Amino acid sequence: MYYYILEAPSARSVRQNYQKLRDILTQLGIAGEVVSASPARTSTELAEMGIGKGYSTIVAVGGDHHVNEVATAVIGRAVLGIIPVNASPLVTDIVGATDIRDAAEALKFRRLSLQSTVLVEPETIIFLDSVIQTSRLAKISLILDNRVRAHAYFNRLTINRFLELRLESLHVTERRKVLGMFNVGGQPIRSESYFHARNVRIVTDPSLPLTVADLPIAQSPIQLRLMPDSLKVITKRGTVLE
Amino acid sequence: MKNQMTDTTSGPGTVVGVNVALSGTLKDQNDIVVYGMVDGEVISEKSVTVGQTAQVKGPVHGQSITISGTIRGAIDASEKLEILETGKVYGSITTKDLVIHSGAVLVGKVIMGAEEELPAEEVATEEKPENSETESVEAAKEETTLAPDEE
Repeated sequence: MYYYILEAPSARSVRQNYQKLRDILTQLGIAGEVVSASPARTSTELAEMGIGKGYSTIVAVGGDHHVNEVATAVIGRAVLGIIPVNASPLVTDIVGATDIRDAAEALKFRRLSLQSTVLVEPETIIFLDSVIQTSRLAKISLILDNRVRAHAYFNRLTINRFLELRLESLHVTERRKVLGMFNVGGQPIRSESYFHARNVRIVTDPSLPLTVADLPIAQSPIQLRLMPDSLKVITKRGTVLE
Repeated sequence: MKNQMTDTTSGPGTVVGVNVALSGTLKDQNDIVVYGMVDGEVISEKSVTVGQTAQVKGPVHGQSITISGTIRGAIDASEKLEILETGKVYGSITTKDLVIHSGAVLVGKVIMGAEEELPAEEVATEEKPENSETESVEAAKEETTLAPDEE
């Protein structure tokens, strides 16, 4: 039996999708307990309740932030199922299913795959891409594996579940006049860096939120640790047997 | 070197952007591209590219190395080393295949060659027990010092 956690519906179309999903689950014979997240009962709390009730598979139904929250609660304790609703292509890529029916069928066949995650100490998980973003350039220091230090100004840092970091910045050189006549400068300078490591410490000035789908999951400074093959996820092309 | 980055994952390679200053040993099984500043060793099992805006202060090791920025340190390219017209190297070079474009700056020793490239008669002398080692090493290494006063 599966324990389904629906993300709090943001629109009428999402409610309609949920009704459609209930019908599909009944047809496939994998209906289980369905609960809905709300401001009063968060996805994390509901996942804890599901595990407490003895469910071995918790299914997150919703978008990126919801899936990431449920993943944080179930890692190491239960299997994660995913039915993407208004989720990014990254989620559908991981599941290997593009629509609700496809994802529900994948749940029925219960093929598992092991996915790497990143622990944001003390207890948050990065399963889906996380971002630190600022419209004005901010200072950032990265310490990779406690040994390499990188310093930069940045606008956006993206972190994926393999602890691969993409650091981007765009700044425009100052315009100035030469001989009071000619404008020089004003050239945009774009910088992109890629790093990967097993442990990363990130310090930003000012302190900035780490977000998944624009919702915060942590605040810098943060300490990250790669956890290879740490999360069991039901996917369409899973290869791991229980 | 003061710092060291252990690389146990293969990963997608490393790129040090133009506005990044990095210190420590940058080690990657895949390609490394540097556009910013690196103070430390750069080690790749594949290629290392040092862009025009890059400044590297430390030794660089790689299979194939292309330089259009500045390196202050020894370079060891196991396959090929290419210094483009904007490239500046202050340090010794060890490689099998070297290309230096017009306009490039090189201040340091160049050590080239390998045993398989030795002339046939010298390979034959290598088999003789007396004084063979010294001769073969000297023949294999072509040491050149270019523009010693430039730095």
